Amino acid sequence: MLKLIKLEWKKNKIGRSIRNALLLAFILCLFIFAMNFWGIADDPETGVPDAAFGMEVISSTIELLTSMAFLIFASVMLSSFIVSSYKNKTMQIMFSYPVKRQKILISQMLAVWIFNAAALILTKLLIYGCIQAGSAFMTSSFIIDFDITDAGFYIQLIVKSLVIITMSFISLFIGMAMKSSKAVIVSAFLLAVLTQANIGDLTLRNHAVFPILLTVISLISAVLSTCRVEQRDLM
Amino acid sequence: MSYILQTNHLTKTIGGKTLVRDVNLHIKKGRIYGFLGPNGAGKTTVMKMLTNLWKPTEGSIEIFGEMLTPKSYEVLKRMGSIIEFPAFYEHLTGYQNLKLHTEYMGYYQHGSIERALELLSLTEAGAKPVKTYSLGMKERLGIARAILTKPELLILDEPSNGLDPAGMKQIRELLKALSEEYGITVMISTHILSEIECIADTIGIIHHGQMQDEITMKEIEDKSFAYIELSVENPERAAYVLSEKLGLTNFKLISEGQFRIYDSRISTQELSKALALKDVAVTALGKRSETLEDYFLKLTGEALRDVEAH
Repeated sequence: MLKLIKLEWKKNKIGRSIRNALLLAFILCLFIFAMNFWGIADDPETGVPDAAFGMEVISSTIELLTSMAFLIFASVMLSSFIVSSYKNKTMQIMFSYPVKRQKILISQMLAVWIFNAAALILTKLLIYGCIQAGSAFMTSSFIIDFDITDAGFYIQLIVKSLVIITMSFISLFIGMAMKSSKAVIVSAFLLAVLTQANIGDLTLRNHAVFPILLTVISLISAVLSTCRVEQRDLM
Repeated sequence: MSYILQTNHLTKTIGGKTLVRDVNLHIKKGRIYGFLGPNGAGKTTVMKMLTNLWKPTEGSIEIFGEMLTPKSYEVLKRMGSIIEFPAFYEHLTGYQNLKLHTEYMGYYQHGSIERALELLSLTEAGAKPVKTYSLGMKERLGIARAILTKPELLILDEPSNGLDPAGMKQIRELLKALSEEYGITVMISTHILSEIECIADTIGIIHHGQMQDEITMKEIEDKSFAYIELSVENPERAAYVLSEKLGLTNFKLISEGQFRIYDSRISTQELSKALALKDVAVTALGKRSETLEDYFLKLTGEALRDVEAH
């Protein structure tokens, strides 16, 4: 399996994805840093961040922006690794190999999942680190509500990241059903908005049940995307 | 006689439309099998089922003596194929594409990629990304990939797409050599008869999703006979010359003044000379033979030498 995953990375020029992920991480970091220390999100009248309810703390902003960004990044990769390969017929080559087809699909999904989970975790660590370092000699606009010396902080960070990246399987399932790369990306965007953003005062972000439910749906989507692939005709 | 590949009443229906029906194929080991049929006859459908990309609605496929099931992976190791047009990872070079192929096939033999590229005259192009290739080069790279792992059975669906006449000749010679030297069995589909008539041992003809005939080239040669067609102005006198002077018995008058002579001992020169001596005015004289094409046309009733192919 590890070999299949490595081949997927090699085939899809993972170097390019690494470059893009680094760029994305850097931009996110710069943006959040600017909001927190240079006051770009501050309301000119009040001098405090123009944040929605529940968003006055820095961790909410970091989680929101990184999660949305990497959920979409993951679905872009899923669409180019999997949905496009159905469309440009390279899947036909993959299915002519003496490898179980389900295993091929799972390796493709894992190749994207591992990459993005790692990228999201590292990006978050980078941003939290920068904010922590900056707060030592600058005034923060947002309330700093995390403690990098606490082990619970890291556990929460990792678990949240894994849940978010797993959600991209929902958009993969939709994209595969509709045979469209665009559908993968659009549905990921909608998912990101639905789960992360505030709509008026309504947000689904802070309910405990919701992430669990989403993870379950994500895993069901992942299973549905790979089941019966041996029996189905490759169109 | 055992077959390396055979199908039993193979039928495929998609969305209520029957693409192929009751196809029975029999391919012997080490032979080149020409799978012939007009466009849309169902050749690709059959080949997709043979390579397990599509599953039969009814009927069965036996490859290397084993039934093909959705879980047959090991047989794929022994097969090389091109179905429709070969697909590649366009941003990778030809060499990288072949390298990936060996990784997935689990075939590691030093120098095999270089050799395959060389056989298809792609040594230089191998270092370039596939997206820069011409249609013909992609087709050749597809063949290089199909033969790379020295499969026992090659399934090639219209492999001459996009090739120029010289390229086609090269492929024909390559396939013939592979079959003769390594005993590789080749199944090759085409709608252009001339492409396979000189290399195939057996021809299977499919039309409207149904097998019309399976016949060896030897049988076709035995079946088809040459004859001389002769048109004259005075058939009575001509008939007299043919039977009395030349001693021919195997001829017939097919229409007013037109004869067919099935005797192979006589040449057209002798004939015209004898007729001229007896003052028979000859309006047309020529040798005809029933070719594979005639045979094919008889079966399918459609012109095969497709214009678009040229």
